[in-house]
Amino acid sequence: MSKLTLKTEGDTHVVVTRHFAAPPEAVYRAHIDPRLIQKWMLGPEGWTMPVCINEAKPGGKIRYEWTNGKGGEFYLTGEFLELEPYSRIVHVERMHLPDPTPDNHVETRFEADGTGTLMTMRMTLPDAQTRAAMLATGMERGMEASYVRLESMI
Amino acid sequence: MELARPFEMTQPAISQHLKVLEDAGLVMSRVEGTKRPRRLAKPGVQAIDQWIAMLRKALERNYDRLDKLLAGMEQEKRGEKR
Repeated sequence: MSKLTLKTEGDTHVVVTRHFAAPPEAVYRAHIDPRLIQKWMLGPEGWTMPVCINEAKPGGKIRYEWTNGKGGEFYLTGEFLELEPYSRIVHVERMHLPDPTPDNHVETRFEADGTGTLMTMRMTLPDAQTRAAMLATGMERGMEASYVRLESMI
Repeated sequence: MELARPFEMTQPAISQHLKVLEDAGLVMSRVEGTKRPRRLAKPGVQAIDQWIAMLRKALERNYDRLDKLLAGMEQEKRGEKR
């Protein structure tokens, strides 16, 4: 059963929804507590997040560093814009490959859904032209770059 | 010319858009007399599909892990109350 939906919306949005059995308070906490983030925001198997800085306040810094233990590593930086416990988080993030990708603006909402939570994550990517250029770079660098950029979204 | 017809845009503006798409590897063109027929560049379009597919897969793995973590947190909470 796939509980996740992922849709593109217009030129610049990607909207992801996912239901969780836990209540909004717990799902929200798992998105802002660094010790919890390090346990799940890891992407494909084999990757870990040794560094996780997550200052959950407006203007607070975000920095996640991933490694696969085999020389593969990259990091993400960002800033929090708005936080409404336990219903909404707005932040911007960019991947460093090591050159920074254009900013990805992300709004994450947590709504009570039965005894669980419906999470809706709305990403606003750069305009079509910048995105096309990003994709072109990805193709030059091959799968690895796509894979790394993918990580910037999670 | 033909590509510009359905749009309320000038021919140079359309050419500019096509150039962006071509530079990005999403459209390919060739010269045929005075015409420059374009077609979608399969590898470019596939790269987008691939990227979306990988994004979905990574998110699914993340959220499956989060499900387990949340279940553990709930259990701990119940344990504390006891």
